[in-house]
Amino acid sequence: MTMLGEHPVIDAMPALFTVADPRLLATRTPDVPPRDREWLVEAAQRVRLLGRGGAAFPVATKLAAVGKGARVVVNGSEGEPASWKDRVLMRQHPDLVVAGAALVGRALRSPQIVIAVNDATSAAALRAAVRRCGDERIEVRHVEHRFVGGEISALINGLNRRTPVPDGVRVLPHERGLGGRPTYASNVETFAHLALLAALGPERYATTGSAGEPGTSLVTLHGTERGAAVLEVPHGIDLSRLVGEHRGPILIGGYHGAWTARTDLVVERPALRAAGIGWGAGVVAVLPERTCPVGEIARVAQWLADQSARQCGPCTFGLPTIAADLQRIVAGGHADRGELSRRIGQVTGRGACHHPTGATGFIASGLTAFDADVRAHLAGRPCGRTTHGVLPLGGGR
Amino acid sequence: MSRLAIDWTRCDGHGLCARLLPEAISLDDWGFPIVGEIGDLDRAVVGTAVASCPRLALRVEK
Repeated sequence: MTMLGEHPVIDAMPALFTVADPRLLATRTPDVPPRDREWLVEAAQRVRLLGRGGAAFPVATKLAAVGKGARVVVNGSEGEPASWKDRVLMRQHPDLVVAGAALVGRALRSPQIVIAVNDATSAAALRAAVRRCGDERIEVRHVEHRFVGGEISALINGLNRRTPVPDGVRVLPHERGLGGRPTYASNVETFAHLALLAALGPERYATTGSAGEPGTSLVTLHGTERGAAVLEVPHGIDLSRLVGEHRGPILIGGYHGAWTARTDLVVERPALRAAGIGWGAGVVAVLPERTCPVGEIARVAQWLADQSARQCGPCTFGLPTIAADLQRIVAGGHADRGELSRRIGQVTGRGACHHPTGATGFIASGLTAFDADVRAHLAGRPCGRTTHGVLPLGGGR
Repeated sequence: MSRLAIDWTRCDGHGLCARLLPEAISLDDWGFPIVGEIGDLDRAVVGTAVASCPRLALRVEK
C-alpha cells in the first residue's frame, strides 16, 4: 500500500461546541420518568424522531415493531473513524444514555439490555452510570471490531458470540436479534433523545429544531479552523453555519456519505434526503487549502477497501482496484477515468451490506466535487500539495 | 414479480449461473454475477441455474 503523507491521529476527544442551548450536552441530566411503550411510540411519532446511527429510520416504527419482552441493544460501537459524537455522549453524559436504555427496557419489559461499545473509556463511564442508575438488567459490553462490525447485523452476530460480519440474507433485529429473540436496536444518541423526550414531553421537546425534524443532533465536524469538533445543533440551521468562512465542497454523512458543492442546505434529515443526501451518523467535513483533495479521497478509499469484511466479491476485489486507480491519479500517473467510473458502477449496489455502496458513493461524489483537481492530476500536473490526513482514519480507542 | 437474488457472503464467483442464464446474468470484472430481470424466462431453466450453483448462493425472491 502506498502511504500518502503523514497520518496524524486524533487521540484526544475533540472540542465540544453547541450552536444553541444544549440538550444532550446540557450539564444536568434530567429526571426521566417511566413511560410505557404506547406513550413512547406516540411521542416519537409526534416529534418525528429518526434513528441516529445513519439509516435515519423512524424510531416510532421500529419501537412499534417489537412487542413486550423484546431485548434492547444500544449501539455505541461508533465504527466510523471520523465520528466522535457517540463517544462524546457516552463519556460526558453516560447517565443520559443509561436513562434512555433503562426507559426503553422498562417500556418493553425487556429481560436483557446490552450497551455495546468499542472503547474502554466509554465502557467505564457507562458502567459507572449503570451503577448509579441501579438497573441490573443493563450490561455494558466491550466489543472489538472493524468498521462494518458496527453494521447492526454484524454487531448482533458479535454479541451472539458469532463472527461480527453482516449476514448474507438480511434479517432485522426486531425479528431475530440478541439470542435470536426480537430486539429493539438503535444508536446511543437515539436512546439519549428518547430519554429527553420522556423527560420533556413531545411539546417541549419540539420547541427547538424545525417542523420537519424537531430537536437537535450531534455533529462531528472536521477540517475547519477549529479542528475536529463535536457540536449539538438544532435542526433547520444552515449547514454553512457549521463550516464558517470555508468555501468549497462539503462532505455530509461521513465515509458512506457524499461530497456536495451546494451551499443552500440545512441540517435536517428529511430536507437533506429530499435533496438526495444522507446525513448518516452526522459527520461533516471540509478540506483546507493546504491539503490535496484527491489525496484525501484516495487515502479514505484505501481505508474503506481495507475495512471490507471480505465476504462479498464485488467489495473484496472492487474496492481495492478502485483505491489503486485513485492512488495512481494522486501520483499524476496514467489512469483511465472512464474505466474508473465503470468500476465504481460495478461495485455500487452489490454485496450483503451497505459498505460497497456507501464507499463508492463517497468516492464518486468526491471525484465530481473536486473535478478540477482530478483533471489536473490526470493531465500529469499533480497539485504538489501534501495529503495531510484531514479526514481521520482511526485512533482514539 | 420475482427476481434473482445473490447471497454475496456465499458467492465465490464460479460463474455457472452466467453460463446457464446468459439472458439474465453477466459477470463483472472480477467474475461475480450482475443480475438482471428474469422477465419471462423459462422457470425450469431458472430453477436449474439456482440448483446448480456450487455455493447455493443464487435464489429466486418473490
